[in-house]
Amino acid sequence: MPNQNGKVYGLTILSPIIDDEKATPSHDLQIRNYLAKLPTDERSPFALAPATHLARLVVMDDVIYVGMPACEEHLKSKYLIFESNCDGNLTSYLTGLATSIPQHLDAIWSHCVGYPGAANLQAFLDYMKSCQIETTFFFAAVNDKSVPETLRALQTQHAVADFIANHQGAEPALLQSDFNQLLADLKAMPVQKPGAMAPDRDIKTGGRNE
Amino acid sequence: MSKLNETDIQGFVLRGYNMPFARYLFLHFEDAGRAATFIHRLMREVTTGQRWDAGKPPSTVNVAFTHRGLSALELPDATLLSFPVEFQQGMKKRAAILGDTGRNSPDSWDELWRDDRVHAWLGVNASSPEALNARCADMLNVMRETNGAILLDAQDAASLVVNGVSTTKEHFGYTDGFGNPDYLGVERSSQPGQGKLTQNGAWAPLATGELLLGYADEAGELPVAPVPHILASNGTFMVYRKLHQNLATFRAYLDEHAALYAGGKEKLAAKFIGRWRDGTPIELSPDTQDQSITQDPARSTNFTFAADPAGTRCPMGAHVRRVNPRDAFGFDGKLINRRRITRRGLPYGTWTPEDQPVNDNEERGVIFIALNANISRQFEFVQQQWINYGNDARLGNEKDMLMGNHTGHGRFFVQGDTTPTNPPFVCSDLPNFVELRGGDYFFLPSITALGMIGMGLVDPR
Repeated sequence: MPNQNGKVYGLTILSPIIDDEKATPSHDLQIRNYLAKLPTDERSPFALAPATHLARLVVMDDVIYVGMPACEEHLKSKYLIFESNCDGNLTSYLTGLATSIPQHLDAIWSHCVGYPGAANLQAFLDYMKSCQIETTFFFAAVNDKSVPETLRALQTQHAVADFIANHQGAEPALLQSDFNQLLADLKAMPVQKPGAMAPDRDIKTGGRNE
Repeated sequence: MSKLNETDIQGFVLRGYNMPFARYLFLHFEDAGRAATFIHRLMREVTTGQRWDAGKPPSTVNVAFTHRGLSALELPDATLLSFPVEFQQGMKKRAAILGDTGRNSPDSWDELWRDDRVHAWLGVNASSPEALNARCADMLNVMRETNGAILLDAQDAASLVVNGVSTTKEHFGYTDGFGNPDYLGVERSSQPGQGKLTQNGAWAPLATGELLLGYADEAGELPVAPVPHILASNGTFMVYRKLHQNLATFRAYLDEHAALYAGGKEKLAAKFIGRWRDGTPIELSPDTQDQSITQDPARSTNFTFAADPAGTRCPMGAHVRRVNPRDAFGFDGKLINRRRITRRGLPYGTWTPEDQPVNDNEERGVIFIALNANISRQFEFVQQQWINYGNDARLGNEKDMLMGNHTGHGRFFVQGDTTPTNPPFVCSDLPNFVELRGGDYFFLPSITALGMIGMGLVDPR
């Protein structure tokens, strides 16, 4: 299935942005402004709503055709692009968004043509699905695990790695008792929140690395 | 392709001179006209890539410029602006991208590199200290006669002398300098393992455009280069980094962890880098040093990682596996062919045997010099993604054991198996074994381009 890669769903939605010359600032600028202020840590809307591995929102002004023979082509409108790698099927994912972060969805998509609002679930689902295009080819670097599975695995990996590093050369009896304790701790530990554990890495992205 | 025009390419680009002594002079230009006269006069001194059929000369001279230097030479704006952005910015402004932060940040660099005054690098290599001093005196004379350049500082570097013998070792005790790539058209005694892997497992030279401007690179494209074309062609870009080595920290760390590691101290040291300290690749000889391998050009660089996917012989994060992953990422090694760099340079400071006390503040390290056609795509990528990050090696945020900017938090996994002397092992709380003390990006022009610069004939139109 072209929108599916293993368990992961690759969603692409293109919503035309309202073209109203009386609007100040214009609707596309209002979306850009809102997106720029969204948090990217555990307060991110996609961390609050379930099932998102990675999501991206982009305002596309135009796509200009350059080539031979010379001609000028433009899009019919500006578009909001929403791409998401997510768990589950499309209906359950969109339903999760509508129930968890309706205020964000409305703040963003209310600048798009025909958006019915997240409060009317069926209308919201119909709208989003009508804006969907086939993703065709995509890559989801998530090892075919769900978001909670991935978070749990990372948590376990960190804990076990720390345990090994701290117990090299330890006496077998101590090793066993501490390991049993680690297992118990891990079992009791709540799964960490999405977006909460990204470590600081002092690397600047956006460098010109081709 | 046919042979390159060796008379037009600086010799430093085409070959490591294999001379044990070097002095790198850093120059400042005060007046564009006088500086051009100096460069014109310097041209008869510059060593080209021509073969030394009459025997090795006692010394060599090569020259390269920072963007600031080319600007001080008053090259046309249209030319200056056509250089790649990273070269225009210089290494200091790239600190965030390179991970040159914390103790490696420009604030802690040597004064020479904090001041933004370096306009040119004059590299003198020599076979003896006398030849080095004589040639440097000649250079100072040329500078004085033309009044064209001021000497800001000089950096001495030399092969480490261990037990009275000149070696290719660096201060941590590892034998260095195995891995330079082969390029199409460069006449050099080539050996398997030094170019790119082909589908049938044989090694072939890399495209010339990975090293030199004006030629197709591995993507079949010409590297980004300044205008006019003739200024760029047969030139390249040089990365200069003064890497200080915290020898006391390294020795203490190795001793402390070797006490816990069942494979023994030398094996642990070999796991850090992927070669035993005598240079034997652990991929080929996992249990012992083997001089018959290091001395054999058909074997010393002739290995791959595909048969060791779990890193039980050479750890996934070992230095040589990170910076030259060969086929470790699959696709017959194709993913790395545009990330290769050519290394020059030598250690600085004197060798201290293991049984003698050392401290970190003593002046010792390696002058790292890399040549590549595209600093951003080659050197910067290796530094950012393979030294200071681990994702490509499936190591998450882990950094290169020896070169990484760890700030005390790093971790290095030695993968192992069920053999008692090859157990899995973890090195935690990695300190910075190596610290950056400064450096910059340079343009190393062809002989033709030097002439154009020296005669004020650079015309971008």
